[in-house]
Amino acid sequence: MKKMSATRLIVSLAVVALLYAAAWWAETALGTNSMLITVLKKGAVYALIAVSMNLLNGFTGLFSLGQAGFMLVGAYVYAVFTIPLKRHAAVYQYYNGGIIQFELPLLVALILAGVVAALLAALVGLPVLRLKSDYLAIATLGFAEIIRAVVQWDSLGPITNGSNLLKTYPTFASTKILGTTVLFPMIVAGVCIGLILLIINSTYGRAFKAIRDDEVAAEAMGINLFKHKELAFVISCFFAGIGGALLAMFQGTVQANSFKSAMTYDILLMVVIGGMGSISGSVIASYLYIACSEWWLRFLDNEQFIGSFQVPLLRSGFRMVAFSAVIMVVVLFFRRGIMGDRELWNLRLPGRKKAGRAKQ
Amino acid sequence: MSENVLRLENITMQFGGVVAINDLSMRIDEGEIVALIGPNGAGKTTAFNCVTGVYEPTNGAVYFHGKPIAANHPRGKMKRMYAGSDPEKFLNMQTSMTADRITKLGIARTFQNIRLFKSQTAFENVLIATHMRRTSNIFTAAFGLNYKEEKRNREKAMDLLRIVGLEDVADEKATSLPYGKQRRLEIARALATEPSLLLLDEPAAGMNPQETLDLGAFIQQIKRDFNLTVFVIEHHMDLVMGISDRIYVIEFGKLIAEGTPEEIQNNQAVIDAYLGGNDE
Repeated sequence: MKKMSATRLIVSLAVVALLYAAAWWAETALGTNSMLITVLKKGAVYALIAVSMNLLNGFTGLFSLGQAGFMLVGAYVYAVFTIPLKRHAAVYQYYNGGIIQFELPLLVALILAGVVAALLAALVGLPVLRLKSDYLAIATLGFAEIIRAVVQWDSLGPITNGSNLLKTYPTFASTKILGTTVLFPMIVAGVCIGLILLIINSTYGRAFKAIRDDEVAAEAMGINLFKHKELAFVISCFFAGIGGALLAMFQGTVQANSFKSAMTYDILLMVVIGGMGSISGSVIASYLYIACSEWWLRFLDNEQFIGSFQVPLLRSGFRMVAFSAVIMVVVLFFRRGIMGDRELWNLRLPGRKKAGRAKQ
Repeated sequence: MSENVLRLENITMQFGGVVAINDLSMRIDEGEIVALIGPNGAGKTTAFNCVTGVYEPTNGAVYFHGKPIAANHPRGKMKRMYAGSDPEKFLNMQTSMTADRITKLGIARTFQNIRLFKSQTAFENVLIATHMRRTSNIFTAAFGLNYKEEKRNREKAMDLLRIVGLEDVADEKATSLPYGKQRRLEIARALATEPSLLLLDEPAAGMNPQETLDLGAFIQQIKRDFNLTVFVIEHHMDLVMGISDRIYVIEFGKLIAEGTPEEIQNNQAVIDAYLGGNDE
């Protein structure tokens, strides 16, 4: 990737700051419960998760489908360690109040969520990353399903509350910044995506891309394949864990059963629609996806009348049908996604000649 | 014993029932340019792959500066199928280094069927090869604390592009370059790993006579400038005869001749092997 010029960096940061300000203003003006704010929060959470998946699938060329599993780990670690002590008896009503008799500060729990997911990824990666392409996808998918089953295991109930809900832990409502709930998820996601960007633009990021382009050549250039794959896997899962914790905060309750493989496919779709190998693409696609599924395509689920004419087909569930059609169109005709492997801030401005040389 | 830069000892490479290389022994001394020639399918690239860790030889050993980098003997299922010679000789040896470790020791290579990093520019292709000699870790690299090293590597990559004459296409996608330039880019990328032994797999393939001539001079020049030992597979006899100190000839995986260019040109076995097709 080209070194960004100082002006582009400043402009990009200014645009991001403006977007944050706009989000803050929107919540102040429209209220916390408006659809726009919900989409902004959920979109931020999914943007982080999609970017973390893109690091693995788009940048390192490892086709992994375990994202939901690592999100689940992150979500549970966050929830388990932040449920207020006095609520334990109520939450763990079937397990005598559980065995964890302490609570951690919110930010510590958030980071711990990432760390635990990353440690697990390091373990899982040892055998799994020796597999290639489809086999890796199957193995990681299987792992995600195993995790989901293990967490619901009755014997782990005193920690995970079995297959019951975890609730009453702090949500976005308790992390207000400047009086709004929307800034916290956006800032956490922004910082994490920024970190991923820094990694991708470093020498390690170039090594990841080399592995994606040609494993044999990458190894011949002295890049230790296993070490770098493991590194990408651990980093990706760290951020997936944090993303899972944010999702738990967004939802207000966590249950293992909702982290199905369908969730991974949703995220994979965001990555593909945005463009494999484009961070900004993943972010844009996540927001589009969330906005469509939560908001813009909602009308498809309700009976609609134009005058006295009832529009046919529209009923509960039709939204998903329309959605599937959109996805098929994207996959068939726009395979490179919105951004391809380019980034928003590296696009050539119209009327300008080639951007500056890569030199020193 | 350890004076040879590279020594192959009884290398046999067998794929199922096919013996690609049979009992190949050779040595390359410091500062030499040694060529490996032979008709198509003779096993030349397979020999390279055994040296660079892409394949693990079925039998035999490879030494780099006297240190074994690959050694094996027929094992398991191969024990029954083995059709080469001396299955007992390396019974007590077993070493196999991965390709990246071998590169780290100082063996760099180019590929016959060009293997550049497709999505990257020419400049980035060379820059990636400097990654191996890094002193940074993921944290210092991400936060730019390795900026001195990064700057040095960028300068080095640009210098290498200048040496191979590609500085004006530094920002072009590697795969959009013409064939001859892609070959030169592969050489620049190999040099960026700071090798002491350079393996070139058909560097002149697809080049016109003038480009081939230039390439010969270029190989000799980088050999001098970078203190290299060069091991080259090539079909262009003009190039091979012009630059090599010694030549090994293999046919059907077996060594049939070894010697200086003059000796090889007058060797009856070589003439027979190439009869009817003295130029690819």
